[in-house]
Amino acid sequence: MKTIFLVDDSATILLSIASILTKAGYAVEKAPNAEEALRKFQSGTKVDLLITDLNMPGMNGIELIREVRKLPDYKFMPILFLTTESQQSRKQEAKEAGATGWIVKPATADELLNTIKLVVR
Amino acid sequence: MDELTSVFVQESREQLAEMEEGLLRLEQDPDDRDNLNGIFRAAHTIKGGSGVVECSFIEAFTHDVENLLDSLRNGAIGVTPDLATLLLACCDHMGALLDLLAAGEPAPGAGLQTHGDELTAALKKVLATIASADEVEIVQATGLAEQAPTVEVSGGGVVITDCWHISVRFGPNVLRGGMDPLSFIRFLSSLGEIIGVATVTDAIPPAAEMDPESCYLGFEIQLQTRATKADIERVFDFVRDECDLRILPPHSKLADYLRHIEELPEDSMRLGEILVRCGAVTQAEMDAALNEQIRGTPGEEGAGPPQIGEILVGKEVVYEEVVEAAAVKQAQIKEKKAKEARLVRVQADKLDQLIDLVGELVIAGASANLLALRSKQSDLVEATSVLSRLVEDIRDSALQLRMVQIGETFSRFNRLVRDVSKELGKEIELNISGAETELDKSVVEKIGDPLMHLVRNSLDHGIEPAEVRAAQGKPVCGQVYLNAFHDSGNVVIQVSDDGGGLNRERIKAKAIERGLIQATQTLTDSEIVNLIFEPGFSTVEKVSNLSGRGVGMDVVRRNIEALRGIVEVDSVEGEGTTFTIRLPLTLAIIDGFLVGVGKAAYVIPLDTVVECIEHHDGESGRNILNLRGEVLPFIRLRDAFEVPGEAPPRESIVVVQFGGHRAGIVVDQLMGEFQTVIKPLGVMFRHLRGIGGSTILGSGEVALILDVAALIQSVSHQESNRLIGTGRAQAGTPKSLVSEKD
Repeated sequence: MKTIFLVDDSATILLSIASILTKAGYAVEKAPNAEEALRKFQSGTKVDLLITDLNMPGMNGIELIREVRKLPDYKFMPILFLTTESQQSRKQEAKEAGATGWIVKPATADELLNTIKLVVR
Repeated sequence: MDELTSVFVQESREQLAEMEEGLLRLEQDPDDRDNLNGIFRAAHTIKGGSGVVECSFIEAFTHDVENLLDSLRNGAIGVTPDLATLLLACCDHMGALLDLLAAGEPAPGAGLQTHGDELTAALKKVLATIASADEVEIVQATGLAEQAPTVEVSGGGVVITDCWHISVRFGPNVLRGGMDPLSFIRFLSSLGEIIGVATVTDAIPPAAEMDPESCYLGFEIQLQTRATKADIERVFDFVRDECDLRILPPHSKLADYLRHIEELPEDSMRLGEILVRCGAVTQAEMDAALNEQIRGTPGEEGAGPPQIGEILVGKEVVYEEVVEAAAVKQAQIKEKKAKEARLVRVQADKLDQLIDLVGELVIAGASANLLALRSKQSDLVEATSVLSRLVEDIRDSALQLRMVQIGETFSRFNRLVRDVSKELGKEIELNISGAETELDKSVVEKIGDPLMHLVRNSLDHGIEPAEVRAAQGKPVCGQVYLNAFHDSGNVVIQVSDDGGGLNRERIKAKAIERGLIQATQTLTDSEIVNLIFEPGFSTVEKVSNLSGRGVGMDVVRRNIEALRGIVEVDSVEGEGTTFTIRLPLTLAIIDGFLVGVGKAAYVIPLDTVVECIEHHDGESGRNILNLRGEVLPFIRLRDAFEVPGEAPPRESIVVVQFGGHRAGIVVDQLMGEFQTVIKPLGVMFRHLRGIGGSTILGSGEVALILDVAALIQSVSHQESNRLIGTGRAQAGTPKSLVSEKD
């Protein structure tokens, strides 16, 4: 079973995405902020895909992506970030930090799962 | 309400509170970008969540709020008091909409809708003032939006029979970005049938120069699908910027293929072979193309690579770039290191369940302890005592879980003070301290209303109008203080102001007028000021919008006493008033005084116990006694609860005090102090007066916790009935509690 790690400061988003993913047969790990997520990654948790929000209090998603990419175990792990139409500017920044792709909120379950299908090996 | 919606509602309430707090701070410091970002983020989170839970009325309204906040954030408009007021009103409206969602209403009622429309109109009006700046952007955006479909139309549309040709050369960073080139092929195969794939490896350098982490691959793919060009293109969205992508629709003109061949990075001869091999073009077409290429080469070489994508995917590339460049220019705002929220969200009922279980554990532990002691096996006693110490630790930690900071409750008053002081035309500042003081969640929830009343009271009656203050040589700006701290197992909350203080003479006169005290009575200073907590007491004749709406201080006291707390007032005339609320840390555990009547055990809350005295029966037939010159009514628990058996020759009286009244409770035995977990009574027993709850003793027996307030009330009632000679309980006195035996 593939494990997807979700990071978002919004509990609503976390819960809704997690429920879609769980139904689709993925194992889901969650973190409400980047700091906690990074700690999990530093401790070497097994993850097949990281999905993170960009705009979070504290460490933001871009910093998280950058830090996770620095860890040897996750050098080639797919990373998706959650963004909105209004945040196009941050796409480039996130890509440069090492993100694989993005999911535009609000996404339907199909859009979400298709995107994941594309990047998860 | 499903789980997702309830999470959304709860989260949004928190975000709203943060937004409101932020907006209030914004008025003080309009240039605080971090704060602005925080406010925007809160609105943004609410909007995002409302989309997820499909609550369109919240989403639509919040969208406009978010737009305005975005303009604020971008510096397109500045912060004005009017704008802050408007946004605060929007917060309120969003709160009202959330209530609606929580109540399961499908849409706002007419009144709320109209209010929302008014706010939306006001928001739009503000936004219109910056329209000129926006217009350029809008024109640009619509221009692009129109452009995109034309590309798609000219590009393809729906195709049924023939193949698409997809040519892609990946950039070197694709692998480092976490993307597997093969995944595109895998994914494309889910769109349709892949007729042929050729891997282009020409870019791979000699082994010595090769970077194993770079990608040097390319594919030529033949795909048969019903998908549109946009669908195919979307597959490559994530790598579009760093790869060379060409999508040729089925039946493309030879010219398109030719251009394609020319534009590819590899040697065109070799590519021709690839194309033919994977069936993009027939050998005949290829020959023709090659001929044409040879003919056209000199001129086109001069033109060079800039032609890339200009016609086929060109427009979309430009589209991407324009948008991105424009977007990059937008302020990239670093997020503030806000409070690091290392929190785990737990359902409150799960926590309650845990506390319940811990309560059971405490009881079971006590019983094991008792049995061990009886068995007189020292090993067992030692083991159980270690166990019970651990159980106590667990109990304390579990209770700690329910502790929340009072700060959130306090900060709600910022808004109140702001609004009310404007309304009253007074200048008032709210000072908060001790916001980090923790107390039980259930207490925090219930303390809001009494606090609100006390703060309003300070604002309305406490702080004098500016001119009066100036005349008295006080600073014009009045101060209201909210403070909280821990004090020997209690939480103390103080509401104080530097206003006029309480007028003793007026209070006394009022109390005499209302029959609360006798004109001849001598009262201490503190007794006088605390008269304001008596039912029906109000010194202000003029009923204002805020206080004095019939809800007196007695209600405040009753609410606080329901939390097993006490409230006192202390006031210096001309200098100010301080209300002090003292609350137990938790409602789940009580320090009790265990007493026995017959075989039954009862727990009296220790904080109500004043003293214990010996009862000498036969003083009089009446249930009052003379306690050092004071009249003390008492109640026999044996009679009140109809405990069978004869009273022992020596009885004791526990003197209890609550809400300024004293009474005695006659019991058989005094069994000492003990801390216990309160277990609520079952529904069947809720109506019983005089009993507040139950607990289980170490022996496994049930002990009832006495509701001292109700007992005192009934005891005074009983005595006064007796005095006026009815000799019978009033109809309102339940028989279950007091059965009269004259």
